[in-house]
Amino acid sequence: MKKTRIFVFFVILIVFMASLSVSVLAQVVEKGGTLVFGRGGDSVGLDPIQVTDGESFKVTQQIYDTLVDYKPGTTEVIPALATDWDISDDGLRWTFHLRENVEFHDGNPFNAEAVKWNFDRWRLEDHPYHIGGEFTYYGYMFQGFPGIIDEVNVIDEYTVEFILTEKQAPFLNNLAMVPFGISSPEAVKKWGEDYFKHPVGTGAYKFVEWNQGDRVIVEANENYWRERAYLDKIVFRSIPDNAARFMELQAGTIDMMDGLSPEDVDAVKDSSELKLTLRPSMNVGYLAMNFKFEPFDDVRVRRAFNHAINKEALIGAFYSGLGEPAKNPMPPSIWGYNDDIEPYEYNLEKAKKLLDEAGYEDGFEFDLWYLPVPRPYIPQGKFIGQAIQSYLSEINVKANLVTYDWSTYLDKTEHQEAPTYMLGWTGDNGDPDNFLYVLLDKTNSNNAYESEELHEVLIEAQKTMDREKRIELYRKAQKIIHRDAPWVPLVHSTPPLALKSNINNFIPNPTGTEKLHRVWLDK
Amino acid sequence: MAGKNNKKIKQKKIMQKNTNPWLEAFRRLIKSRIGVAGLTVIFLLLLVAVFAPVLAPYDPLKTNIMARYKAPSSEHLLGTDGMGRDILSRIIFGSRISLQVGLISVSLALIFGVGFGLVAGFYGGKVDMIIMRLMDIMLAFPSILLAIAIVAILGPQLKNAMLAIGIINIPRFARIIRSSVLSIKESEYISAARALGAGDMRILFKHILPNAMAPLIVQTTLSIATAILEAAALSFLGLGAQPPSPEWGAMLSDARSSLQKAPWVATFPGLAIIFGVLGFNLLGDGLRDALDPKMKNV
Repeated sequence: MKKTRIFVFFVILIVFMASLSVSVLAQVVEKGGTLVFGRGGDSVGLDPIQVTDGESFKVTQQIYDTLVDYKPGTTEVIPALATDWDISDDGLRWTFHLRENVEFHDGNPFNAEAVKWNFDRWRLEDHPYHIGGEFTYYGYMFQGFPGIIDEVNVIDEYTVEFILTEKQAPFLNNLAMVPFGISSPEAVKKWGEDYFKHPVGTGAYKFVEWNQGDRVIVEANENYWRERAYLDKIVFRSIPDNAARFMELQAGTIDMMDGLSPEDVDAVKDSSELKLTLRPSMNVGYLAMNFKFEPFDDVRVRRAFNHAINKEALIGAFYSGLGEPAKNPMPPSIWGYNDDIEPYEYNLEKAKKLLDEAGYEDGFEFDLWYLPVPRPYIPQGKFIGQAIQSYLSEINVKANLVTYDWSTYLDKTEHQEAPTYMLGWTGDNGDPDNFLYVLLDKTNSNNAYESEELHEVLIEAQKTMDREKRIELYRKAQKIIHRDAPWVPLVHSTPPLALKSNINNFIPNPTGTEKLHRVWLDK
Repeated sequence: MAGKNNKKIKQKKIMQKNTNPWLEAFRRLIKSRIGVAGLTVIFLLLLVAVFAPVLAPYDPLKTNIMARYKAPSSEHLLGTDGMGRDILSRIIFGSRISLQVGLISVSLALIFGVGFGLVAGFYGGKVDMIIMRLMDIMLAFPSILLAIAIVAILGPQLKNAMLAIGIINIPRFARIIRSSVLSIKESEYISAARALGAGDMRILFKHILPNAMAPLIVQTTLSIATAILEAAALSFLGLGAQPPSPEWGAMLSDARSSLQKAPWVATFPGLAIIFGVLGFNLLGDGLRDALDPKMKNV
């Protein structure tokens, strides 16, 4: 009797273990299927070098590879089309060894010639295929045309050499950026100005169709040099309204979405069919004050504003708590962040005192521009603008809220027409230069902040190869910026995404877009 | 039967001799249910607008981001919005803005429309041709599109929205007046006035305008309703009232992102717009009946 019992017990145990291991096996990747990705806008173009918007990069990143890439979920540089590389002692000669047996989607081989052809097209204004746009990101990152890349030389079929005119510390990080995806030279020659509608790269997915304003479709590249993509097909659908996109997700007509409104985070958490994924934070949302407009030329007024806004409360109310208050213009996730900076704390007394000293005890009136569209760093511009307005009213300052449509807004702020304005930035490559130089150097700032002292530090940091020295320089830069208070840094947000619960292995990148070749679906 | 009817008509005529025709119209208006309903709604609206500071339980602009999207309760009868403001108080203060928009923009349309219509109808010829073709061009645009274009040029502000709504309503008034003037100016009493030596101005404002008043009043009332709606539409698009102003259309627009989470934020301003517009439309219909000479015996 007893023996049978033990026997039955063991049988049950074995069956149980077996079923467990089966369910573990079921966790093994399931291949195939279509993913419908809902997003806030259409791509501008699919030639990555010609675009600057995330919605374009989201798609081109699937179609193209870059010489080097970021490790998923980070900004650490890893090999991609280049397997390894050497740097000369003076930092001016970079030699890349390329991956062999890689083919473009049109069947042409990837080699050193193709790399040279792409770089020549981007950097040489007299290149016959330097057409179809402004090559904006090339100019940004490599300082114009031809910029600091003096020569690109083919050493042999799989070795290519770059000669720089001056040292650029973030050179490798820059090369990993999505805009520098390598195109098939033959395809560019074939389509000319229309290449942006017929992208051909070496990536995990091949371009199928682009129905402008509605959707872009890509399908798995069977000859991908990494393992073939798990999904068969991805459809990128544009649904501009956040609420409408979320309703589609709930209805099941899309599988995942970015740009989830913080208002809907709780609904995702409560749903058994959806899951929440957080993008690692690498951004800043800020309120800039324009030095060209009185009284913002007075540092006491700018500091008073810094003291008058309660950032924690804003994050609690308008970000569902998904973010942290900013004290520096760059996020703590980036090396070189100066955590020793003492933030201007929320303190109305101090704010009022500073205004008194500046001669504005009776306050003043000014225009506050608020973001017309939801962005990852400021998802609810109108609400946050009203909250800032009400904070400032506590120190007798009257803010008139103003806004324009998004492209006008960007254009006008770029031309320094806004007295104060909300804006933000998502990092491209994880380098401090990509925040401090791009946003606050005297050559780039949109609020007429023109500090010679800061400029010198930032330029020196660009030319310094040693990481420790660069960290010191950037820490110093943040100190200068904190002292001058050109902005009220508001928040480093953690943008939320919503996915159906059957989506696996989606790893959001801090840069805002990611490759989707390792994503797979439970059937 | 016929005899009885005749008698009634005679009695009416005798009565009319002693009464002001406007008083008579008013009497007819308050006899009609539609008219009374419209008047009541508008009266209520006016009351709310005038006594807003007394009626509103909270400051309509007072934000409290710790109390966002609170459902209707005894504390906040209609709940709170995305900035934690009391929706009831905002709707109450919003009535001021809506009435203001309605009255100011329609007055603007009325003054210019009537001016153009009178001149065009009275002088005829080339003047008429130029003015009315201009009006036709304006009418050829969808009115809200024209308003958006005007606001886009002037900048998004409530006063510009009012101006835009005023402008797009000018042609309707001009047309109505002109057609009245065309028939009235052929009347014998106009010839008589002219024979007595009356000048153009006297004839226009003393004889023609008062006789063209009835359709104008109806059109004015109905236009206020559309003006309120158009202002709400412009504000919804972000082209009218700017935050934190408690304009009803702007409130609706703010509520869009939270439709699922907090439906009351959209519902109540929506109802307020319906209520206000309905009031003026009902009054307009009532007035049309009351002022129509053919309806005198009804």
